Amino acid sequence: MNSELKPIMEGIFEVGPSPRLHGAICPECNQKFFPKPMVCPHCLGELWDIGLSAEGKIYTYSILRIKPPYGLPQPYAVGWVDLENDGLRIFSLLDPERISDLDFGKRVTLRVGAIGVNNEGQTCLRYYFTPQDGGGQ
Amino acid sequence: MRPVDIIGVGITNFGKHIETSLVELGGRVAIEAVKDAGIKPSQVNAGFFANMQAASIFTDFTVGQNVLWQAGINRVPVFNTENACTSGSSAFNLAWMGVASGMYDIAIVVGAEKLVVPNLGLMQAGSTELDTLEGLVVPNAFAMRANLHMATYGTTKEQLAMVAVKNRRHAALNPLAQFRTPITVEEVLNAPMIADPLTRLSCCPNADGAAAVILCASEYSTRYTTKPVRVAASVLVTGSYENPCNMAQWDADKRASGIAYEMAGIGPQDLNVVECHDAFTISEIVHYEGIGLCPEGEGGRLVESGATSLGGKIPVNPSGGLLSKGHPVAATAVAQIVEGVRQLRGEAGACQVEGAKVFMAECMGADKAGDVKTCTVNILQN
Repeated sequence: MNSELKPIMEGIFEVGPSPRLHGAICPECNQKFFPKPMVCPHCLGELWDIGLSAEGKIYTYSILRIKPPYGLPQPYAVGWVDLENDGLRIFSLLDPERISDLDFGKRVTLRVGAIGVNNEGQTCLRYYFTPQDGGGQ
Repeated sequence: MRPVDIIGVGITNFGKHIETSLVELGGRVAIEAVKDAGIKPSQVNAGFFANMQAASIFTDFTVGQNVLWQAGINRVPVFNTENACTSGSSAFNLAWMGVASGMYDIAIVVGAEKLVVPNLGLMQAGSTELDTLEGLVVPNAFAMRANLHMATYGTTKEQLAMVAVKNRRHAALNPLAQFRTPITVEEVLNAPMIADPLTRLSCCPNADGAAAVILCASEYSTRYTTKPVRVAASVLVTGSYENPCNMAQWDADKRASGIAYEMAGIGPQDLNVVECHDAFTISEIVHYEGIGLCPEGEGGRLVESGATSLGGKIPVNPSGGLLSKGHPVAATAVAQIVEGVRQLRGEAGACQVEGAKVFMAECMGADKAGDVKTCTVNILQN
């Protein structure tokens, strides 16, 4: 992976062989967040940084067929993923190479890769989830 | 809080107004509403102007003062309001509050928008938002809800299409609507795919347009009109942003309509006619459920039954809705209220619901965390 490329947003994920999304937890409320807010919106207390689960299941998804924004592939898919053990439902790009394998409840794994461009028109890194092979529902 | 009536309305057709400026569009409906109310411009104590996109498309801002001066309104407080698709109903809610509180006796609300410009592109939540950067645009946000609603409740693609077919049938009766030619379920399903399962005919088109209403303290309204329409409830709520969010339903619809029903002292069974925010076919179905026209998951079957068609038990979007009229964002929610006033005055022409006494306008705006940023419910009563 080209390490020169910038992430789509700073501090959102860790790049490497096993990428992780950077989330946060409120030690008082025991609630997790992604992305990390300034403080816990429930108690306004300080949050701790945590790595979130790199696996989850597709809650819902859709495929955009028309001209995409940010130089994303045409078509491309997005969805909401329920992260394993974290109790969080997060929005994500889904693997553009695996659109025909998407389904409700499908088990997916986090990846980070060079897909599309940023607001400055430069190729950048985005997080996305890809379906697990043979995993089914 | 004291009772408030609507005493005047103005509206343009929704469609292409290429040669007309935003100020002229807004000015036109402001003049029409002032004349319809039978008041002088100097009797207006405050103005609330709604627009969403002028700053980003035309680099125009603080437009309300320009618009209202076209109708001779000056010196009084003027507020410029942006709240996505509910910009117009948010301005209305503020104007209602101002009159109900006793601060103003008469207030004007104008919503105006020009969106028919080349290469406008897809609407999204803002280029600094993570969801936008990860590929969220408005059509796929609604397509994800549609897919989930179908998987959860067995709603069919045909039922989704029936919303567009019904609203187009209504629009054929409304000379102010942009698209008036009837369409079939097959045509909706076979139109070019935008975001599965939503085709081009499942999504509302862009439009230019404007609408205005004049609010007046009820104690004075009969000085000006023989047909005042009472604002029985005006409510605005924001999303909860709790995670995980149930995206098969809109909790904001339930909360806003619940508060509105309580304010008006009525329930969903008392409604005679509804205009709701049918930006996409799926939206209307989920709004049916959110405002209590049917139980959760039954929205698809409700449209299929014909209950929400003109002549049915509870007609929804007799004007043709956004799917046929188009969606000049900040004009939309004011136009819904104008439609309601015309229904309750018995002036809705071929779209008239016979003997309509109770009207609801529901509107919703912008995504955040799988929830919405804003939802408004206004109930009008005779």
